[in-house]
Amino acid sequence: MELKVNGKNQSLDVPAHTPLLQALRESLQLTGTKYGCGEGACGACMVLVDGTPTPSCITPVSNVRNREVITIEGISVNGKLHAVQKAFLAEEALQCGYCTPGMIISAVALLNKNPEPTESQIKEAMQRNVCRCCVYPYIVKAIQTASKMK
Amino acid sequence: MDKKTLIMPFGIPGHNLTQIEREVPADEPPAWPVNAELKEVGKSVKRVDARAKVTGQAKYTSDIQLPGMLYGKMLRSPYPHARIRNIDTRQVERHPGVLAVHILGKDISMAGSKDESADNYPEVKYIGQPIVGVAALNDNTAIEALKLVKIDYEVLPFVVDLEKARMEGAPLVFEAPVEKEASDGGEEIEKGLSLSGNVRGPSRGQPRGDTQKGFAESDIVIERTYVTQVHMHNPLETHGVVVDWKPDGMLIYASTQSTKGVRDEFAQLFGFRKSQVRVITEYMGGGFGAKYGAGNFGVMAGHLSRKSGRPVRLMLDRKEEQLTAGFRPNSVHQLKIGAKKDGKLSAIQQRSYGTAGVGLGAGVGSIAQNMYECPNFATEQYDIFTHFSPGAAWRAPGAVQGAFGLESLIDEIAESLNIDPLKYRDIIDKSEVRKVERQKGAELFGWSKRKKAGSDPGPVKKGMGLAQSSWPRFTHLDSTAEVRLFRDGAVEVRSGVQDLGTGTKTILAQVVAEELGLKTEDITVRIGDTLFPDGPPSGGSVTAGSITPAARNAAYQAKLKLFRQIASKLDTTPDKLMTADGKIYVTGEPSKNISFADALKQMRTEQLTAEASRSDDYGGMSRDDLGSVQFAEVTVDTETGFVKVDRIVAAHSCGRPLNIAQIESQINGGIIHGISYALYESRVIDDQTGQMINVNFDQYKIPYAFEIPDIRTIILEEYPAKSSTDAYGIGEPANIATAVAVTNAIYNAIGVRIFELPVTPAKILDALKRA
Amino acid sequence: MNKFKWFNAQNIEEALERTNATVSDAINRGSADSAIIKSGGIELLDFIKEGIIEPAEIINIKSIPGLEGIAFDRTAGLRIGANTTLADIENNGDIKLQYLALHQAVSKAATPQLRNVSTLGGNIAQRTRCWYFRSIDHPCFRKGGTTCFAQNGENQMHAIMNNGTCCSVHASSVATALLAYGATVEITSRGGQKKDVSIDDFFVNPFTDIRRESVLRRGEIITAVNIPAQGKNVKSWYIKQGERASFDWALADVAVVVELSGKRVRKAAIAMGAASPVPVRSKAAEEFITGKDINATTAAEAGQKAMENATPLAKNGYKVDLFKTIVKRALLESV
Repeated sequence: MELKVNGKNQSLDVPAHTPLLQALRESLQLTGTKYGCGEGACGACMVLVDGTPTPSCITPVSNVRNREVITIEGISVNGKLHAVQKAFLAEEALQCGYCTPGMIISAVALLNKNPEPTESQIKEAMQRNVCRCCVYPYIVKAIQTASKMK
Repeated sequence: MDKKTLIMPFGIPGHNLTQIEREVPADEPPAWPVNAELKEVGKSVKRVDARAKVTGQAKYTSDIQLPGMLYGKMLRSPYPHARIRNIDTRQVERHPGVLAVHILGKDISMAGSKDESADNYPEVKYIGQPIVGVAALNDNTAIEALKLVKIDYEVLPFVVDLEKARMEGAPLVFEAPVEKEASDGGEEIEKGLSLSGNVRGPSRGQPRGDTQKGFAESDIVIERTYVTQVHMHNPLETHGVVVDWKPDGMLIYASTQSTKGVRDEFAQLFGFRKSQVRVITEYMGGGFGAKYGAGNFGVMAGHLSRKSGRPVRLMLDRKEEQLTAGFRPNSVHQLKIGAKKDGKLSAIQQRSYGTAGVGLGAGVGSIAQNMYECPNFATEQYDIFTHFSPGAAWRAPGAVQGAFGLESLIDEIAESLNIDPLKYRDIIDKSEVRKVERQKGAELFGWSKRKKAGSDPGPVKKGMGLAQSSWPRFTHLDSTAEVRLFRDGAVEVRSGVQDLGTGTKTILAQVVAEELGLKTEDITVRIGDTLFPDGPPSGGSVTAGSITPAARNAAYQAKLKLFRQIASKLDTTPDKLMTADGKIYVTGEPSKNISFADALKQMRTEQLTAEASRSDDYGGMSRDDLGSVQFAEVTVDTETGFVKVDRIVAAHSCGRPLNIAQIESQINGGIIHGISYALYESRVIDDQTGQMINVNFDQYKIPYAFEIPDIRTIILEEYPAKSSTDAYGIGEPANIATAVAVTNAIYNAIGVRIFELPVTPAKILDALKRA
Repeated sequence: MNKFKWFNAQNIEEALERTNATVSDAINRGSADSAIIKSGGIELLDFIKEGIIEPAEIINIKSIPGLEGIAFDRTAGLRIGANTTLADIENNGDIKLQYLALHQAVSKAATPQLRNVSTLGGNIAQRTRCWYFRSIDHPCFRKGGTTCFAQNGENQMHAIMNNGTCCSVHASSVATALLAYGATVEITSRGGQKKDVSIDDFFVNPFTDIRRESVLRRGEIITAVNIPAQGKNVKSWYIKQGERASFDWALADVAVVVELSGKRVRKAAIAMGAASPVPVRSKAAEEFITGKDINATTAAEAGQKAMENATPLAKNGYKVDLFKTIVKRALLESV
C-alpha cells in the first residue's frame, strides 16, 4: 500500500492489520516513534496523520492508506528544529526522553489547531501523553514558550 | 599513599558556613570553593544530550537493530502455582520462522540450562513466570509460534493475598529458607533469617535502648497501623535487551540502571570473563529502581542468541512489564511512639510485614530508626511470600512506606501535645540541614496561615501538611572515570556509568569543564559502555556522589600531565600553572598564558589520558543524611472525596548542587510520583485467580498532566567536605516525604485521619462517614 | 495484533451482507470465522489485542458516505450520524447551545486524540470496562462462563444497583446524556429496513440477556441517533466524577435534563451512568423533583431519592454517597 511519510512517498508491503507503529519502526526504520503501552493510552507512539494526532500503536496501516503521516523525524525540516523542539530544549522539558517524541507530536498538533492555548487547554490536549519521569510542569511550560515563539 | 591537608568549605552558606581541615590522599585535587565562585558547576547548564531526544535520533534498547537480528518472545505461565509435567516444543521447533527455542531451567545459570529435560523444569511460582522462549524472524511470528508450545501443568494451590499468606496452613511458596541478593539499588537484604510458612524474618535493623522502659516513661503513647499498597514502576520504556552471543564473548544492549551489573551477571551465567562481555546503554527510558541485572528475559535472549547464532532482541510488552517486572511491595506497618510532655521522643517501636511476591524487600526502611532523636528503638520487619512475581526497589525502597507511618504518627503526637507540627520537628530533629529547610520552606509556603484541622466551612476544604525525609549519603567506591585529551582539541570524559535521564552526562561534563577551566559544551561525554571504566549503578541515589569526584579527579590528573608537558613552554614549572576561561595561566603572571586548545596542539602524543576512582570519604564515614522537608496544600471535596493537590513546596539538600535545573526536575518528578502514590496508583489482584486485573494503563492509574500541582523548590547548598565535588544524589530524597505531606494536609483539611493508601475518593467518603 | 482480513465497505448494504457477527456473538460463540463491523475501531482493536476475540475479517464502515453528519432543527430536533466523530460532536455549536449535557458528556469522553477517531455509534455500542470482562483470564457470565468474578471480588468500580447477576457498569458517558434526553437509536438491517429504538430499549439488561449489552444483532448497524427537540425552558447539566482530573473512567456520572416553568420543574430526567449495568433514570428522584423549585434542599433530597434502592457491594458503598452528591450538584448547576 502507498502512503506518504515525512514528505516522502512510501510503499509498504505488510499485512493490512499491521499496527502503523510497527510498520514505521521495523519497515521504515523510523525508530523515533516509541512503543509504550500498545493500548493508545500513553502517547509514546503519537504521529500525525493528515495533521491529526494519532496513536500509531492501535492504528492498522490500512487506516492510513494514501494519507500523510508525519513522525518525530519529520518535525524538524532540513535539520532546522521546529519551535516546539526548540522550546523543549529551552525549558529542559525532558529527562529520559522516551516520551519526548510523542509529546512533541501532540504539542505540534495542538499549536497548529490552537496557536495560543491556555494552560488548561494544554493539559487537556496532552491528557493522554505519559511522562513517567513526571516532567509535566516543564512540558507545559515548553508548550507555552513555543506558542510565544512563532 | 602520602597525605595532604585541604581546607574546605563546611556547612550551609547563609547559615553556618565555616571551614574545615581534611586529611586527604596527596593526589586529590584542591578544595573547590562554594558554588558562587565556580563557573560551570552549580549552574543550570543545559542538558548535553537533549537534542538527540527531541529529534527522535536517540536510540534506546528497543531501537537497536543489528544485522540478522531476531525477535524473542516468551511463553508465560497462566497459573500462579504449578508443577510442569511436560513441555513439548517439537512443533514450534519445526516452525520455519523460528530459529531457536529455549526452555528456562530450574537454575538459570549456564550449567543448569544445558539440561532442558523434565527433571530440570522449574516449579511455577507466579502468573507470568516465563518458561519457554523463541527467537523468530519478527515479533508477530514469535507470538504466533509460541501457541505451538504445549505445556502440561499440574495446577497447585496458591496464595496471593497478604493476610491469607501469613496464616498457618497457607499454600507454601518456598519449602526452605531462601536467600536473595539485594538488587543494586535496593535495600540490604539481611541473610539467614528464619522462614516459618510464608513468613520470613524478622529483620531487626539496629535496635537501641529498651523500648518497654521508654514507653513506661512516656507521657503519651500512640499506636497505629498504616497500610500501603503495591505500587508499579511502569517506566515508559519496558524492560528488554538485545543480546549478541558469540563464542568469545557477548555484546548486550540493555535498558538498565547498571551496565556493570548486567555485564557481571551475563558473564557469570554464560561462563565468560567480565572483559568478554560488553554492555551498552546509551539511552534508556526510565527505571525507577526496577532495572538491574540480566533479568530472566535477558538470560532467555542470551540462550536464544547462542542457539541461533544471531543477535536477539527481547523486549517486554506493557502487560508483561506490569505482571513480572517489579513493583514496590505493600506494607502493614504497626507503629508505636511514646513521647514526654515536653515533646521529646522516648520510644519508637515498629513491626511491619508486606509481600514482594516471591522476592524479598517488603520492609519499611530505616527512617523511623534514624530520622529523629529517640533513645529507645526496636523494629521487626517481615517479608511474606506470595505467589506473585518478585518486587523490586522503587525510588527510596522501604523509606516511602516507612515515612507514611512515621510522619503521620509524629503529626498526631504533635497534635496531642498541642504543638504545631513544624515546631515539633524543631524539638525532636537534630538535623541542621532540615532545620534550615523547615525555616525556608515554611516561609515560602506560608505555613503560618495553616488553620485548625477541619475548620474550613462548606463541603470543599483546604488543608496544609508537612513531612520530612532522611536518606543515607550512600556512595559506591567502585566508580571510575577516564578523562582523555586529544591533540585536535577534543576533551572526553568516559565511564561505564549510565544516564537514566537524571542528567549524569551533563554533570560529568560540568565537573570536568570546571576542573579544566573550560565550558561544559567543550566536553564530550561517553558513558553507558562497559568498555569504559566501571561506573556506579544508578540506585540508592549514589550516582552523582560517586562518579563526579572520580571524574573531577581524572580531569585533575589529566591536567597535571598536560601541565608537565607544557610548563617549559611558558617558562615555568608545572606547579605554577592553573586553568581558567579556556586558558592555562602562570599563577601570578596572567600575561603568561596559552589557550587550552593551543596547549593540546603541543601535546607530545596524539592523546593523553588519566583515570581516577572515587576515593574514601574525607574525614571518614559518618552517620549523616540527605534531608528534605516538603509542604503540601490540598483541596478536598468532602462530598465527592476528590482530592486536588494545589501546591507543594519542597526544600532539599544534596551536598553541592551541580546542576540546579536538573535537580529541580528530579524533585518535580519525585513529588509527582509521591502524589500519585498517595492518591491514585495501586495494583489490584483478583484473589480468585491470582491475576493482576488492572494490568494496563487503562486501569492502572498513573498521573498525567492535570495531576500536577504548583511546585516550588528550595535547594540548599550544603558542604559536608567529604569528596572532591561534595555532590550527592537527589533521586530518592525527592520522593520520600511527598505522599505523607499530602495525607497530613488531607487531615488538616477534613479533620479525619486516613491510615491507608492510596487515598481514593472511596476512602475519604468512608472515613468521613465513620467519623 | 492478530491477523485478519480488511474489507472497506462502500455502502451499508455491502457491510450488512458481509457481516456475520456482532462483538457479543464473537465473544460468546467463538470468532474464528467472524466478520465484524468496525467504525472508529478503538474498542474492537482493543478486544483483538487482548486476545478476547480473533475475527477473520474486519469490515470497515468508516468511509461509507452519508453515515456522518450533524443536523439540527428547532422543531425536528437533532440527528447525528453514527459515523460522526466525538470531536465533531464536541465542536458543534448547536449542540453546545441546545443540548449542553450532551456536549459536556462528549467533551469528557476518552481524550482529545481518541475523540478524533471514535464515532458516536461505536461509543454507545461499546462494551463494559469491567476488568474481569476485559481480561482473557476470567471467563465470566458475559463471555459464556459460569460466574461473576466481581460479586465477591474487586468490585470497587462496579454497579450499586441492578447488580444481582452481573455487576458491571456501562462505559459510555455519552449514553448517560442521551438517556436523559430521551434519544432514539436508528438501526438499519439487511435489506435496508430501518427502525427507531428508544435509547432505553437499546441497552440490554443482564437479566434479560447477559451475553449482550445492546439490542444489535448481526446484520444490523446503528446509522444515526436522534434526539427530540427540547422545549424553550429546558436546562441540562452533566457531571462526570473520576478519581483523577485527567481522563478517567467515571466512578459516577449523572445527566439531568429539566423542563422549567419559572423556577418550578415541570418535567425531569435524571440519568445515572456507572451505577448500573445499563444507564438508568431514577424515577424516584424525578418524581420527587417534579413540581418543585430546584434549590439546595430539594436537590439534596433528590440525590437521596436517587439512591433509595441502591444495593452496594462490599467495596463500592462510597458510590452511593458520590451519586447523592452529583445528582444534587447536577440539578443545582442546571439552573
